[in-house]
Amino acid sequence: MANLLVVDPVTRLEGHLRVEVGVETVGGVQQVVEARLAGTSFRGFERLLEGRAPAEAAHLTQRICGVCSVPHGVVASMALEATGGAQIPTNARILRNFVLAANFLQSHILHFYHLSLLDFAAGPDSPPWTPAWKADLRIGPEDSARLIEHYKQALGIVRQVNEMAAIFAGRQPHSPAFIAGGFTQIPTREAIEQAKVYVKAIAEFVRSLYIPDVDFVANQYPEYGKLGRGTGNFMSFGVFDLGDRTSLFGPGRISDGSTEIQPVDPQAIRETVVRSWFEDSAPNRHPSEGVTQAAYPKEGAYSWLKAPRYDGRPYETGPLARMWIAGRYRTGISVNDRHKARARESLILAEALSGWLAGLEVGGTAYTAYTPPVDGTGAALTEAPRGALGHWLRITGGKIAHYQIITPTCWNASPRDDANQPGPIEQALVGTPVQDREHPVEVLRVVHAFDPCLACAVHALRI
Amino acid sequence: MLITRRSFLKYCAAASAALGLDHSALRAVEQAAGGPDGPSVLWLQGSGCSGCSISFLNYISPNDPKDAADVLIRSVSLDYHPTLSAGAGQMVVDQVKKADNFILLVEGGVPTAFGGHACVPWSDGDKEITFEQAVRELASKARQVVCVGTCASYGGINAIGENPAGVKAVGVITGGNTVNVPGCPPHPNWIVSTLVSVLQGKTIPVDDRGRPTSIYGRRIHDECPFEDRGKARSFGVNGRCMEELGCQGPGTGAPCARMKWNNGINWCVQAGSICLGCTEPSFPNPVERRRGRGGGRGRGPRM
Repeated sequence: MANLLVVDPVTRLEGHLRVEVGVETVGGVQQVVEARLAGTSFRGFERLLEGRAPAEAAHLTQRICGVCSVPHGVVASMALEATGGAQIPTNARILRNFVLAANFLQSHILHFYHLSLLDFAAGPDSPPWTPAWKADLRIGPEDSARLIEHYKQALGIVRQVNEMAAIFAGRQPHSPAFIAGGFTQIPTREAIEQAKVYVKAIAEFVRSLYIPDVDFVANQYPEYGKLGRGTGNFMSFGVFDLGDRTSLFGPGRISDGSTEIQPVDPQAIRETVVRSWFEDSAPNRHPSEGVTQAAYPKEGAYSWLKAPRYDGRPYETGPLARMWIAGRYRTGISVNDRHKARARESLILAEALSGWLAGLEVGGTAYTAYTPPVDGTGAALTEAPRGALGHWLRITGGKIAHYQIITPTCWNASPRDDANQPGPIEQALVGTPVQDREHPVEVLRVVHAFDPCLACAVHALRI
Repeated sequence: MLITRRSFLKYCAAASAALGLDHSALRAVEQAAGGPDGPSVLWLQGSGCSGCSISFLNYISPNDPKDAADVLIRSVSLDYHPTLSAGAGQMVVDQVKKADNFILLVEGGVPTAFGGHACVPWSDGDKEITFEQAVRELASKARQVVCVGTCASYGGINAIGENPAGVKAVGVITGGNTVNVPGCPPHPNWIVSTLVSVLQGKTIPVDDRGRPTSIYGRRIHDECPFEDRGKARSFGVNGRCMEELGCQGPGTGAPCARMKWNNGINWCVQAGSICLGCTEPSFPNPVERRRGRGGGRGRGPRM
């Protein structure tokens, strides 16, 4: 890349991310012509579970991410249940939905106000809001002050969402309540009534502040309704089991901005490592057979993330993909659309909470005694706030012999693959104008819209 | 353009007055910790999950500081936090480099594999800075190093098994005294109260694991309201002692049973689960089910 700009660290996300963009003037506009995303941390989570008791998976894998621990706890429990074909009580299904939806809400609200907003509006004049890039801030002082007041209120709402989840989940983050066979806590009348108070306040916040604020910012920056399109390929594994063989957000996939929904076949998933700091000895494996051995340095590699591909192609995953596939938001594919879809998904979830509370059997069990088989394999797919999440495991002799995880950010922030196809965020960055080379805030806007979570993505996949 | 905290407090007062809020309380909290000329705070993240930061944001208290926003705006000058800082790239690296009177908070363990390149939190110009380098250098300049969470304190979950990233505790790297606030995550009150004490220059008595005795001095089991309620033989039964299902409460120093979590809403054992012992250097201890007399072999859950 001739005119290379490096942003390292990219702040206001979870984990460690470096972005390199090649900038050239095309058609009179200085813009990104090429981009590379590098996950700059290797956690080596892969061997943590090997040899451990299967029941520990739900506890240990939650520690992959402190923002989205809940989906790891849920899907690890589901994968263990799949090894022995366990059924869980209705109360467990509902409590998992409720706590997972709360987790989406806290993550989404945190993402807009605390991770993204400062790309568009100036914060207070003190750390951690200073120093800040001041390029292209179009929102005036009064509106900025109002948005920052909402930033503070949102901190309180995020806290309250976590309190609401903890009513059933014990605590947040890192809940001990997820267990193969169900959920540890029995819902009481008192707990349900307590949760209802929170639901009302949270839904009101989403309706009256979050959605209007997202739309207000989008209106101030209308060109971001076109910028950051990316691959146009969306995938969702489906989430929030409604107990009637349907989900609140169904699984599916689309190609290149289509409205034609195609099925997801998990067997079509492969992971490539040609540009990743992992050995090439076993390339392009399905996650159930994934082999990962760190190799640093390595010629041509630039990231600790692997590059998962579906049928050889990169896919974007996340709220916009979920909402698009569910037919709930199909306005466009851009930076602004990612924020708008995330906010609207939040309202759908906030409004679903009451129904789930009403469906709980007061005092009824949420757990069916279950021991996974001594030898077996299992897999489970769900959605985390940031998109498609899968866990695959094998148990041998009553211990975990192999565990593999693909997180949403593995898809979105992936590096190039063996066909040299850039990952979704890398593609989305191309064509982004850059006004000030010292302060390329436009790059942050495109990256942040995907809400990348590098803590999740760099767990290194064979656990 | 850096403005002092004092001038920012005036801004806050004006802003809150504009919003119709009572700003008389601002003067009181201004003195809650540190003062305008007190040390700033640098918060680094290494090999971890950001869960300690999320837990910090859950902070709420009837006393000053009252919540996370209050801490950020009026109690500390958080000169760097990777998840909260507005700036990015070289701008924040320069901010970290010029800090000279600061408390260093470290979240996450320190990866040492591949010459430290298992974690590169930032670049300075063309030079990649490893987390190990950053911790060594900043710890040597810091007035105090505080380890937030079990990973920074003891290595934690990233350091178990074969430890392929070579993760070490911060104290092992610095060779110096750290104040440890373990927990996976730590309770927000533990983080904030320790930070405020450090900012106020108080001497913090610690136990043999570097933890403030005021927080970690008593074992969970000794304060557990379910300790004498009969033993649970299986999950799915609430309000019993979970010891036979692998509860680590008897060996875990922490005030969870008394303080509870998330604004006093709940805690692990009250939720019908077990204490995982997350404030101890042994975390995550392999949890083996301790079969009681009523536990049928091969039946029920196995932990």
